Amino acid sequence: MERDKVMPIALISLLLLALTGTAEAGPLDGPGAPTAVICSACHGFAGQSQSNTMPILAGMAPWYFKKAIQDFAAGKRTSPEMEPYAKQVVQFGLDDVAAYFAAQKRTVTPVTSDPAAIERGRAAAAQCTLCHGASGKGDPAKGVPDLTGQPPGYLKSQMLLFKADKRSPGDAQLKVVKVLMATIPDEQLADLAAYWSSVR
Amino acid sequence: MKDPTRREFLWTSGLGLLAAGCAPTVADYAQKSGRRVVVIGGGWGGATAAKYVRLADPSIEVVLLEPNKQFVSCPFSNLVLSGVRTIDSITFGYDRLRAHGVRVLHDTATAIEPDAKRVRVGNDSLPYDRLIVSPGVEFQWEQVEGLAAAQDRVLHAWKAGPQTVELARQLQAMPDGGVFVLTIPPAAYRCPPGPYERTCQVAWYLKNNKPKSKLIVLDANPNIISKTALFRAAWASYPNIEYRGSNKVVKVDPGTREVTTELGDKVKYDVLNLIPPQRAGTIAVSADLVGADKRWCEVNHLTYESVKHKNIHVIGDSTIGLPVPKSGNIANAMGKISALAVVSLLSDKPVPPMAPGNTCYSWVSDREAIAVVNAYKIEGGKVVQIEQKLTPGQSEMWAQNAVGWATSIWQDMLG
Repeated sequence: MERDKVMPIALISLLLLALTGTAEAGPLDGPGAPTAVICSACHGFAGQSQSNTMPILAGMAPWYFKKAIQDFAAGKRTSPEMEPYAKQVVQFGLDDVAAYFAAQKRTVTPVTSDPAAIERGRAAAAQCTLCHGASGKGDPAKGVPDLTGQPPGYLKSQMLLFKADKRSPGDAQLKVVKVLMATIPDEQLADLAAYWSSVR
Repeated sequence: MKDPTRREFLWTSGLGLLAAGCAPTVADYAQKSGRRVVVIGGGWGGATAAKYVRLADPSIEVVLLEPNKQFVSCPFSNLVLSGVRTIDSITFGYDRLRAHGVRVLHDTATAIEPDAKRVRVGNDSLPYDRLIVSPGVEFQWEQVEGLAAAQDRVLHAWKAGPQTVELARQLQAMPDGGVFVLTIPPAAYRCPPGPYERTCQVAWYLKNNKPKSKLIVLDANPNIISKTALFRAAWASYPNIEYRGSNKVVKVDPGTREVTTELGDKVKYDVLNLIPPQRAGTIAVSADLVGADKRWCEVNHLTYESVKHKNIHVIGDSTIGLPVPKSGNIANAMGKISALAVVSLLSDKPVPPMAPGNTCYSWVSDREAIAVVNAYKIEGGKVVQIEQKLTPGQSEMWAQNAVGWATSIWQDMLG
């Protein structure tokens, strides 16, 4: 290769590297990281889930992460997938893993929804905002979680579990949301999932 | 800092190689300048390990040796047999690993020199500081009479790829009323529930497309060895399955189209899928990484360093001694744990105690799945199971979760 052709190639190389480099590489040296990387098989690197069914853990409030893990581990929030893993997280240090995910940059799901479904969901969203707030970001003081940016498939599946009283059966705190879900047709649950998933 | 030479620049820029249109070769990496990890095998374990070493410490050079230019997922490949998925939907390239700075070389390791800390590739060699060996399984052809000479005609389809496509073609071409024979080797083998999931997929296909056909399953094991009750319940929908436990196949004759079991029974087939007995990948055997059984590799449970050779770590299906199945999810976990261990050891830091996890879905029809999940802890320096949990039945929800799992873990390995 002629020397005069080397520099343009070198510049292209640098440009390509800058565009496609290790942008998603996050810190792996916190005390919770060694346990959290096991979670990434399903929940994505640093909790940035890429799938429609697995919730995003990156940037999740520690109080909510810890409640979810404790409820899974106790078999209160039933899940054959999460119950064993929740016990493993507790074994290795729940506070560390909660802190790890809380410290990760919050991303939104790459899964997109039908714009028409989003608009239908927006029109029906007032029933959610009473507890979750107009922004959908929730209220930690009342134990109400953030709905925004999660995968639509995950949001829909959780609403269906509430509706069928299969998520944490008997949990008094969830009684109101279950009563509400029972009044909403399944198609509208899908629309609400599409809307809250799209909210940033 | 001196100006880099053209050659140095192109190597260090990584993608410069692609831009220049010249693929790197082993000879280009004959010398190492800094700390280097070599990984043998770009499957569930090796690809993950290579990526996570770079994520944990980008100053460490990682060279990955993988002969195949594309990765084809074994999980979900049974759905290709039934026509529910295409092979393209489970095939991925290695370009994203390159973007993480992994030097991917499509070549085969021919020997390991532990004292010199070098991997030989033909006449060339790659020096390393730490080596991660993730060679998967090799088939023990000699265990079944007639199999070694008929490797091209008797399909295993147990390493997803061209054989998967060919077996699907044979299944589709089989006349209605034909007999499909599936043989299962004695444990331990790659993916314990895999043959039983395959049974479901072939039976589902036959039920819907060739209702007069039959599937005979000859299992060397006395019973279904994974998710037993769930598979039994699923098979209630498939009266075309004839399952025979404790029927180890010891001989195959493609001329007469029949297999012979240890008991002397001869079984005729129209289409045969013979899954041979297995051992650790060839490089693990030739490099003396296997134990007294000459089949599998024993490792330290915290670092995955071989108990036989220092600075060499073995992960994935080739390992033995941990209470874990030979699954893709376990190999993925071992990839991450060994990567963080290797980075710690190269930096003279303590190795963090980490345990793997296992999530394993099996498709029992075109739209329903079952699952088993295993969690682990470290106790006395060993991996110990905390709990195993099964789904209470089969459902479309578990199948949707299976798709979510696959999407995520393929990204975790190669994305």
